[in-house]
Amino acid sequence: MIRKSIVGTALIAAMLVATPALAGWKLVPAGQPVAVAKSGMTVTPDGDWNRWTARPIKTSEVWTLDGTSLNELYFVGGLADGGTLFRDIAKKARPLPKFSKTMLLPDVVEFFETSTRTALGTSLFEVGGVEPDKMGGHDAVRFSFTYTVEGDQLPRKGIAKAAIVGGQLYLVSFVAPSIHYFDRDASRVNRLLDTLTI
Amino acid sequence: MTARMRRLLLAVSLLLPVPAVAAPYEPQDSDERGLWMQMNEVERKLQTSEFVIRDPELNAYVRGVLCRSVGEDECGAARIYIMRTPYFNASMAPNGMMQVWSGLLLRMENEAQLASVLGHEFAHYKEQHSLRLFRDIRGKTNAAAWLGFIPFGFVAQLGIGMSMFSFNREMERDADAKSIDYLVKGGYDPAAATRIWSRLRDEMDATAAERKTKSRKDKNGGIFATHPPSAERVDTLKALAAAQTGTARDLGTERYRAALAPFWADFFDDQAKLNDFGASEFLLKQLAESGWTAELLFARGELHRRRAQAGDFGTATGFYRDAIAAGGEMPAIWRGLGLSLMRSGDADAGRAELREYLRRAPDASDRAMITTLAGESK
Repeated sequence: MIRKSIVGTALIAAMLVATPALAGWKLVPAGQPVAVAKSGMTVTPDGDWNRWTARPIKTSEVWTLDGTSLNELYFVGGLADGGTLFRDIAKKARPLPKFSKTMLLPDVVEFFETSTRTALGTSLFEVGGVEPDKMGGHDAVRFSFTYTVEGDQLPRKGIAKAAIVGGQLYLVSFVAPSIHYFDRDASRVNRLLDTLTI
Repeated sequence: MTARMRRLLLAVSLLLPVPAVAAPYEPQDSDERGLWMQMNEVERKLQTSEFVIRDPELNAYVRGVLCRSVGEDECGAARIYIMRTPYFNASMAPNGMMQVWSGLLLRMENEAQLASVLGHEFAHYKEQHSLRLFRDIRGKTNAAAWLGFIPFGFVAQLGIGMSMFSFNREMERDADAKSIDYLVKGGYDPAAATRIWSRLRDEMDATAAERKTKSRKDKNGGIFATHPPSAERVDTLKALAAAQTGTARDLGTERYRAALAPFWADFFDDQAKLNDFGASEFLLKQLAESGWTAELLFARGELHRRRAQAGDFGTATGFYRDAIAAGGEMPAIWRGLGLSLMRSGDADAGRAELREYLRRAPDASDRAMITTLAGESK
């Protein structure tokens, strides 16, 4: 079993734990603000998405267009001090880094990188451009990244946007194979990231 | 045979390099042929993997070390793949595919230690330990488990897949003993092997101390499932080495450092980003045994800044300043210094250092973000 995506990993773990026996996918209709990740975060998609009814971590949510290995949108809303970005499934051998409320925005980018490298056990992860942005009036960071998971021949590309508001982390990341899928959906996702509010 | 299989086999045969030895060993029966077919498939994927480090000098160096210990007439059987994977591991599959992970190269102190690990893996290959195990598993378990037997795969398989596959104690002892013979044959210090495992145990203690957990050094499982660094093993290796008298004692420390010099910063960076402060600090101190260079001081600053516990930003600031004093010129030193100062409450001084970073790295990929953070110069 090769873990290709971060949330896919959590998804497998969740299934092993057997909680979301009834987990499934629900349609997210286009054109209206949707509250995401059990937090004060909202987003307004301009096309239909599918939302997974299970949550990798408590305040998170997963959306996809064609399935998570082809496109995966991961929302984390209001991650508190000491929380991990993904489900800490290998806590003993390979614990994930913990969020700190004193992080600066460049630190959040590093936090995302270390969390992903540790979760996927990969060395091929690179952060691309890191730029200032706004999330519902709050200072935010938007960055791009690429990674490859060992044993999987498909390099992946991603974009993410994050802000720290009231000492809590709000982060949305998008990952897709760099072949075809990322380029096909990047502008749609960038538009979606522009609609984020907290 | 279906057309698809024929195409597959053709593809495999086209991709596999021509073995360097004149009369290569061929699988003898259906069990062995089956095992080889699986390994060839794994190798076919490996050949196009982005994780393979293709640097010709590093590859020639590692091959040279293997050849010196196991002998020029034997080493041609190995096709070496150096993998950019930050864990301690090496393996050699029955078809001759040998993997050496960057995390292993980071942890070796000298050429003799590398020779001992390569010799150990080569011994498993030479004695056909995998084949014996394969037959064993096939005899005992059902077809599904049999299909899951691909021991020489990837990190992702370390979890579930590897637990099924570990050489038994007798095989490990056998390979250990042979690796000592290889060290002697190559003129290397036979005591080198002992130190690898005792240091690995120390590293695991360092990880545990930092995480305030119990050391996993005596646990057989996970990453070290195939090679538990047990105390017994260290003692056995020590005794085996001590029995060798009047042999050469070459360690090749300088040669090893020179060969790894262009790579250690990247390899260490991979390690440092795995959220394991204890092990990372332990390894950094090892790298600094012959002195703290600007690069090492910078790496130490980064390690503390990333850990971000009480006092870490002050400590990090000190290491960044030491790195500058030691002649360090990498712009990232000022980035780390600036961010550390800002987080330790000295925002103005931090912003000034970030502006210095931007001055030194005008094309930095995070220029826009850092510019916003640094604000206007006053």
